[in-house]
Amino acid sequence: MKTTYPFFIAVIFVMSCSSPQVEELGVEWKSIERDLQSQLITAGDSAVIELPAGHYMFTRSLSVDGNKHLIIRGQGVDKTILSFQNQEEGAEGLKIANGVSILIENFTIENAKGDNIKVTDTDGITFRNIKSQWTGTPKETNGAYAFYPVLCKNVLVENCIAIGSSDAGIYVGQSDSVIVRNNEAYYNVAGIESENSRWVEIYNNYAHDNTGGILVFDMPGLTQTGHTTRVFNNKMVSNNYRNFAPEGNVVATVPPGTGLMLLATRNIEIFGNEMINNKTVGVAIASYKIVEAMSSGEETQLDQNIEMSKVDESYDPYPTDIFVHNNTYQNKHWFPTLKNDFGLLFLVKFPFSTPDIVWDGIKNEQGEFSLCVKESIASFANLDAANDFENLNQEVDPFICEGNQIEPIL
Amino acid sequence: MKCNLIVLFVVFGLMLSSCSKQQKPLEIEEVSLVGSAKLDVPERLSEWGLFDEPLAKLIPKKGVIPYELNTPLFTDYSLKKRFIKLPENTSATYVANEVFDFPEGTILIKNFYYQKDLSKDESESQIIETRLLINEGKSWNAWTYVWNEDQSDADLEIAGRNVPVSWTNEEGVIKNVNYSVPNLVQCKSCHELSGTMTPIGPSARQLNGDLHYENGIKNQLTFWSENGMLDSLPSLPTVQKLARWDDPNSGTLDDRARAWLEINCAHCHRPEGPAKNTGLHLQASVTDYYRLGVNKPPIAAGRGSGGMKYSIVAGKPDESILLYRISSLDPGVMMPELGRKMIHEEGVELIRKWIAEMSDK
Repeated sequence: MKTTYPFFIAVIFVMSCSSPQVEELGVEWKSIERDLQSQLITAGDSAVIELPAGHYMFTRSLSVDGNKHLIIRGQGVDKTILSFQNQEEGAEGLKIANGVSILIENFTIENAKGDNIKVTDTDGITFRNIKSQWTGTPKETNGAYAFYPVLCKNVLVENCIAIGSSDAGIYVGQSDSVIVRNNEAYYNVAGIESENSRWVEIYNNYAHDNTGGILVFDMPGLTQTGHTTRVFNNKMVSNNYRNFAPEGNVVATVPPGTGLMLLATRNIEIFGNEMINNKTVGVAIASYKIVEAMSSGEETQLDQNIEMSKVDESYDPYPTDIFVHNNTYQNKHWFPTLKNDFGLLFLVKFPFSTPDIVWDGIKNEQGEFSLCVKESIASFANLDAANDFENLNQEVDPFICEGNQIEPIL
Repeated sequence: MKCNLIVLFVVFGLMLSSCSKQQKPLEIEEVSLVGSAKLDVPERLSEWGLFDEPLAKLIPKKGVIPYELNTPLFTDYSLKKRFIKLPENTSATYVANEVFDFPEGTILIKNFYYQKDLSKDESESQIIETRLLINEGKSWNAWTYVWNEDQSDADLEIAGRNVPVSWTNEEGVIKNVNYSVPNLVQCKSCHELSGTMTPIGPSARQLNGDLHYENGIKNQLTFWSENGMLDSLPSLPTVQKLARWDDPNSGTLDDRARAWLEINCAHCHRPEGPAKNTGLHLQASVTDYYRLGVNKPPIAAGRGSGGMKYSIVAGKPDESILLYRISSLDPGVMMPELGRKMIHEEGVELIRKWIAEMSDK
């Protein structure tokens, strides 16, 4: 099936261009820009804004600020389509700020110049049954995030679809009390990413054909450091897509073929997930040090950056209190990605059988460290990157232990 | 099934994108939504009673006082006339580092206009919009009025609109811009501190400079103090003064670059501002070079990083994301995100020079 795609696409490609009828694909775009923006501004509290069925084109960001108990509701993902293809102004498609109890649901939003939906400084934000996408072949010029709640509390993202983000499909940043469930993410660099967030639950999601399926990251220099996250009962399948993130962004270092990756974060429980055919690694556990080394490619720069990350005294570049248990792993691929230093390392060190769970082996020698792995069938590798891979080994025994089970947040 | 959907999606996308260059721009019909938007605000600028007739001369009524900032925000080369109106027998209170504490009922008035031919000493001007920022007690509120074609009055604008403008610059070159009047939420996206609306300009360091008043030239702070508009002004030499970005006599290259960054960026890029999530802080008072962006990796820049790794690399403007973003006109890349459709060539040049001459320490 896979091998027939390029041919099939190529044929359509040629056909579509030779056809003069292309613009009559059945889509008639209309504008509701002025009216909708006026309604959003004058809505006040406890308003319901109904988006009618139809295809609507926008030239500016839609902005919402300071509303309480606002509902923005479309007529369904296939009925109400908001396109920012012709956007001239503003970085986001829909931007919501300083809200309380906001619900947005039942529409498709696509092709914003920056992020499709950004929600900031809001307590209570629900995204439900929304498709957020960049159409066309996934590419560097796509916007960063399809769903982007940041600096929020009480976030719920459910039954949504994220496609084509050049950073993360569903990205939750610097937020507290977050549930991401029953979503699908594909053709993004990262399918789902939680960054510097606390009390997060990511479950029953289907992340496939991204560069990396699900990421839980902690970065220095931000308003808060993340912790306490459960990632369970997700399917991470064939996340082998090329990494098309613009360089300079931390996700640009994620190796294609990554199921789940943890970076510099703590108190994380990973269980009941299915990691299938992610060709480079099922679960990767990394410190900020190794990512910096990857992104700069120069050891001297690395040291400087680590110094910089110490500007933020609360930041800990090492992951700890990680418990990985009862997940299942399958990988039909013989080779990891060859487009990433880790892939190349795995190819040399673990020929024809890339490990399911990989730890970079960098920990704080002075601080505490806890990594527990309890899997029935899984291969493990400790890269010992701290010592230039000198004692790279596959002994899981030192890490078989009972880790911390995290309480559900609700 | 899923596979089929993906194929369909990809194919559909390719069909659209592969031919988009041959298509004419889509004709998009504007349709109305049910439910009308009404606000309890004067529909016309004239109703506010701030200027004498004819309105377009912007001759202030009694109690409406002009002011200027040392380094103003760049807004597509538009010129600005600013006024403040304090309620009778009230005054603002001096604050050392921030915008002054203004009494309830204060109105800040900013008129955006273009001089049709800057290569001549005098030419006709076109006022585009007048923005009012009003202290309503609980918070500040913003209203925008767009001037009509005959320049007789201006109408309240809620949703924002574009106004095509052309003028001749100092070198005699004709410039065009589809000038963007912001909507009311966009106003707040810059005028926001810790979630509430607030003025940006009238701080001590911005007002600490001379202005030509009716009775001659005077320092603005002194004038305000002498006329009962400002309480608790300390001795002038102890008051901060922001450099004028384009006047080398007003400060060093560093002072001027930092002044430019403060007014153009720091309304968002500060710990209490809307861009606090980035950890990049650009107020003129910041001393930590990491916070200013030196060797700081981007957080959520997406393609705004332009493939570069740090906001600023000392000595290397072309490897600095900050310079890349202030030089861009792509809505997904450019900074500031709002309020400009042109590149501030002279401002960019100033920042380029500042980064180029920055030492590695």
